Amino acid sequence: MKKYLLLRALYSMITLWLLVTIVFAMVRLTGDPVKMKGEVGADPAYLQEIRRNWGLDRPVYAQYASFIGNLLMGDFGHSFEKALPVRTIYFERLPNSLKLGFTAFVISVVIGVPLGMLSALKVNSWWDSAGKLIALLGLSVPGFFVGLVLIIVFGVNLGWLPVLGKGRSALLLSDPSTWVPFWFQDWRYLAMPAFALGWFFSGAMLRITRSGMLDVLGSDYIKLVRLKGVPERIVVVKHALKNSMIPVLTVAGLNLLIMINVAVVIEVIFNWPGVGMLLYDGLTNRDFPMVQGVVLMFGLMIVLLNFVIDVLYGYVDPRVRLSR
Amino acid sequence: MIKRFFASFAAVLVLLLVTCRDADAQKPTATRILSGPLVKLDIKDAQVDPGRGKPRGTLTVAMHFALDPGWLDPLEHSYAVTMQMYDYLVHDAMIKPMPYGEAAYSLAEHAEVTADFRRAAFRLRPGLKFQDGHPLTTEDVKWTYEKFKGAYAKQFHDKLEHIEIVDDRTIIFHFKEPFLDFMDLYNGGVSGIGWIVPKHYYTKVGRDGFKARPMGAGPYKLVSQEAGVQMVFEAWEGYWRRTPATKTIVVKGIIQLTARMAGLQTGELDLAFGMTGKLLPRVMADPNLRWDPNFTGPWWLMFPGYNEPGSPFRDKRVRQAISLAINRQFLVKQETQGIGKPWGNWISPENRDALWGDGKDVPVPEYNLEKAKQLLAHAGFPDGFDFEYVPFPPYFDMGERIMNDLRAIGIRGKLQMLEGPAFRSKVGQGRKGYPGNRSIVQNIDPRAGGAKTNLAVYAVCGSTASFICEPQIEALWTKHQASLDLVERERLVKAIQRILLDEYYFVPIYWNPFVHAVGPRVLPEGQAFHRYWDTLNAPYPWPWEVWEVRADK
Repeated sequence: MKKYLLLRALYSMITLWLLVTIVFAMVRLTGDPVKMKGEVGADPAYLQEIRRNWGLDRPVYAQYASFIGNLLMGDFGHSFEKALPVRTIYFERLPNSLKLGFTAFVISVVIGVPLGMLSALKVNSWWDSAGKLIALLGLSVPGFFVGLVLIIVFGVNLGWLPVLGKGRSALLLSDPSTWVPFWFQDWRYLAMPAFALGWFFSGAMLRITRSGMLDVLGSDYIKLVRLKGVPERIVVVKHALKNSMIPVLTVAGLNLLIMINVAVVIEVIFNWPGVGMLLYDGLTNRDFPMVQGVVLMFGLMIVLLNFVIDVLYGYVDPRVRLSR
Repeated sequence: MIKRFFASFAAVLVLLLVTCRDADAQKPTATRILSGPLVKLDIKDAQVDPGRGKPRGTLTVAMHFALDPGWLDPLEHSYAVTMQMYDYLVHDAMIKPMPYGEAAYSLAEHAEVTADFRRAAFRLRPGLKFQDGHPLTTEDVKWTYEKFKGAYAKQFHDKLEHIEIVDDRTIIFHFKEPFLDFMDLYNGGVSGIGWIVPKHYYTKVGRDGFKARPMGAGPYKLVSQEAGVQMVFEAWEGYWRRTPATKTIVVKGIIQLTARMAGLQTGELDLAFGMTGKLLPRVMADPNLRWDPNFTGPWWLMFPGYNEPGSPFRDKRVRQAISLAINRQFLVKQETQGIGKPWGNWISPENRDALWGDGKDVPVPEYNLEKAKQLLAHAGFPDGFDFEYVPFPPYFDMGERIMNDLRAIGIRGKLQMLEGPAFRSKVGQGRKGYPGNRSIVQNIDPRAGGAKTNLAVYAVCGSTASFICEPQIEALWTKHQASLDLVERERLVKAIQRILLDEYYFVPIYWNPFVHAVGPRVLPEGQAFHRYWDTLNAPYPWPWEVWEVRADK
């Protein structure tokens, strides 16, 4: 098991290194950020000063070396556009993204999982049709459309909910008194963006729960349990549910990470200050350090999640760790 | 009783003395600083408002893009006029545009420039302080100049011989050669070098520290910021010109037009920029909202490949045909609900020495499809031709409309949509940014500093963003640059503008309103609120200390 863990950790490190290297190269293919910052008619000397400030006057290999060196020290560099350390800005935004992502995730699970189960249990019934319709709507009606409708109805027309930002709550690492209240304050600001984001993912959750459940319900061991005369409630809850949740959990984990890291459209519509908007700003302004930092953190989360999943698989199923 | 009387008398006397001293402090000292003949400067006196009421209420402002903490540091001032929004909040300049003058005294109460343009001097008004109470002196003015590395920095540093501090309030800049544009460029409306940064604070907190928590001599202190999202400013009651009327100003970066509109309608926003476009009719129809047209600069078309071999735009008749084919009246109705003004020049009329394009100096361009078709046929393009159209983002609808107009005379365009920064990046490269010879670029650039600044960027050979390089213009421009005669310079600037228009090198469209909308909490009620947009050549409604809102509930 120890060797298996070390091997997985090594793979994770290599994946991360490949990721940062690819991102480093890719952002540089998008063009020269200095020209964007310089405004029309800018003096070449002024542009050269910016280039020097940003370290772009050095050869690419030197930029890469200092980028990797700084990363190892936990320094993501300075944002070109926001002129502050990327790490400072990122960790200022991350709690907001976590708050939005977790809430949207809960909404997607609360809508998707029970409806998916119901669809599977009452297959080809009215319930199943309703579930399919909701899944279809969830997947085909984009979050930005849902968001705009919510804004018009609950924000502008009814005046029940605020439409911009996250309210005054902030999580400050330096101030422990903010750590808990942050998650429970300003829910009125959170309601619409979380629903718009969660709604989109609830369709996927519903479909995967339904198909997972149908697969399990059609399997031989469930048939055997039923033949034994076990009540249907026990069949579903005790024997089918757990096994049908394995694919759901895998997808749910990835969905959660996506909701946290790249909820760009919802963040832009509701002006929610999350990391998705940072990525958007970074891409549109060729802010290399910002894009590198956000993508690296997203990648790190994915790699960690995969690592944990791999470890759990290895723990649960000895064949997995022995085969590698 | 007698004691009380004398005590009251003494108190009144002290109060009178203090008031007189304050009043004296605001009067500019008349003594000259420089010897020899001086240039006559047109700088307006500061209007010091004696009203000293307590600031009240919160003004929530929505900008139409993400906020950049770098904007809070004048030492790295870019060319972007947006930065001045923050300059006017946190900092103060020696001279700057105000509603009462394009150049108005602010920290400086007096300025002089010698007739040979080799020396410029300023006298600071007495008793100036930064927001931390530290005195603002000529040492800060000198330090800001020396450390400045923003737009035009090379010009400022290359021309400087040395800086002479006469005393805490008097400073003289000595130049190696005549620096005719100094006063224009030193104006806070053009560059960042005249916005004075506190030396003691900047050297203590450093570059990053200053951007995170800037401090200046302006009417508002930054109290908190979330990079890119929100900045909160509180009134500084020690501001020399007047106590700010609004207690708190919250600036938010809201990219989406629909979100800004919703914010205004729900009352979460009091002022939103960039409301021109599809939602303008809704702004105009909402009884709770008011709007200001906020004219900025005119739209115009450029032909980057006009002097390339084989370019259809090489022929003046083709360029003229394009101008004739644009239905400006219809465009103004569609794009701006009729607020915009069809215009015959490409430089903002609020910019000094610009020709007025409403018929006063140059005519509003004609709309005549028949004539346009004839010109195209004579130029050898009876069946038109294909081209690429690059509109200023996000005005793609406007681009489509112009392309429709051109299609009516057989010129078929393909729309090339770019993000804002990518567009600026290409325009910044001038003709080189558009390989080939068949592009039309739709641009707008309401830059300050006089019409010559626009010419220097777009219409002369040496500029990095040059779209025109013509010997005739170059000769006039060289003469302009060499001249020490301000009247002659003005004449030359106007002559170049006429050539650009007569030859259709640039095709102006209409003077653009960049509509701003306000909510019901903004005072005064009714239409008097338009006074906030009185500052000439300002795309945003500064100064901020005059903005009034209802008190918070």
